[in-house]
Amino acid sequence: MGLRGYSMPEEIYFLCLLHNVGATSNERSLTLDEIARWTVMDAQSVKAQLEKLVNTDYVQRSFREGSERFHVTINGIRKVLSMYS
Amino acid sequence: MKVCMLTWEYPPRIVGGLARHCYGLARALAKLGHEVHVVTLEFPGAPEYEVDGVRVHRVKIELGHPNFITWTLIFNHFMEKRVAALSRQANFDVVHTHDWLTTPAGIASKNFLNKPFVCTVHSTETGRVQVLRNPDSFTIDGLEWWMMFEAKQVMLCSDSMKAEITDHFHLPPEKVNVIPNAIDASEYDRDVDKGAVRRRYGIRPNDKLVVYIGRLVPQKGVEHLMSAVPRIVRQHGGVKFLIAGDGWSRSHLEDMARSTGQGDKIRFLGFISDSERVELLKSGDALVIPSIYEPFGIVALEGMAAGVPVVVSNVGGLSEIIEHDKTGMLAFKENPESVAWCVNKILSDDGYSRWLTQNAKKRVEEVYSWESVARKVSKVYERACRG
Repeated sequence: MGLRGYSMPEEIYFLCLLHNVGATSNERSLTLDEIARWTVMDAQSVKAQLEKLVNTDYVQRSFREGSERFHVTINGIRKVLSMYS
Repeated sequence: MKVCMLTWEYPPRIVGGLARHCYGLARALAKLGHEVHVVTLEFPGAPEYEVDGVRVHRVKIELGHPNFITWTLIFNHFMEKRVAALSRQANFDVVHTHDWLTTPAGIASKNFLNKPFVCTVHSTETGRVQVLRNPDSFTIDGLEWWMMFEAKQVMLCSDSMKAEITDHFHLPPEKVNVIPNAIDASEYDRDVDKGAVRRRYGIRPNDKLVVYIGRLVPQKGVEHLMSAVPRIVRQHGGVKFLIAGDGWSRSHLEDMARSTGQGDKIRFLGFISDSERVELLKSGDALVIPSIYEPFGIVALEGMAAGVPVVVSNVGGLSEIIEHDKTGMLAFKENPESVAWCVNKILSDDGYSRWLTQNAKKRVEEVYSWESVARKVSKVYERACRG
């Protein structure tokens, strides 16, 4: 059960997208719809990926101006950078 | 000299050895009298500009894009703008970039400043992924080639890296300089309450503690340590394993840990602070670095300085740092049985472990100091400036 041929989990790929579009702090957090537009994914799939990432502390959920927003945490940033460092 | 150093990682933006290298080198160069400007990327909570012996400029990335390569080109553009602004105040003598990630900004700066450009290659895409399979990997490989083509001098951290790079990129050997990594060994001199550290992680006083510190990505070979766990537990029932670090293969490694039947003995800690890093290394009975690809392996030096016996796989820079049976143990690459054999030998023989750590500490203090590395890098700058 090695790592040969093991591919990147989908939520990590998604985390990378969220990081690359710049949602890396509370001030730059994005709504579900904005993330769906950036990632060209439907809102339901986006929501499912975000839930996994919130549960693992790689993404933080916040509320601003009546809407739910999301941004990558410091641990999430480090996770993304680890792919390319 | 006025040095413009470009890196995408600089503390507190720490992922792997790159940030530690740039931090140690920049400060050591400043101590030698160079004026060092580090241009790097923003990080939550870190100031846009700070002076700490070194002038650190953190660039805000004002645009994003879902594609990683496009994103790197965008942040390089903002780095170039910052270098251009800085060049109105500082007449840089040399531009120094680290790895492919800051290559476009490095080359652009070289051209608009009309100054020599040097680079340090910490690892290569072919090494990281083993085989170039996807378009991103080919692009990164191409950027690495471009960086070395444009550079007056290229710095690498080990002879194995030199062999890899001169072969893969057909680089003229005369512009290649092997300069090892270093650490500040004094950081490991402080006393640590090992009992308290072990209690924090739920380790009983008489349990043996095996530590891994590093990114959780395939090139680090952590799965071979996981596969070695049952063989180690058979000889040392009370042994515990702490895995510090994060990366995209973490969830798979956690599954693998459970599948060994010894999941209760293996704990994943995630990313740890520098202070916890020192405490963990000083509290361990063995440090295992089972990499498949490792151009250097700075964590081996950290283990040697901390006085923990080190087991590394016999690859790349690790096999140059560790002298088998003298300063640590070399396990066969991708061989859990060999990893287990080395760890069991260390856990079973306190006298042998002590002997290894005494030799290792002496070696690290003699050879791997930042002052020595900074002097060698200064000479490379001088060579580049002479033309």
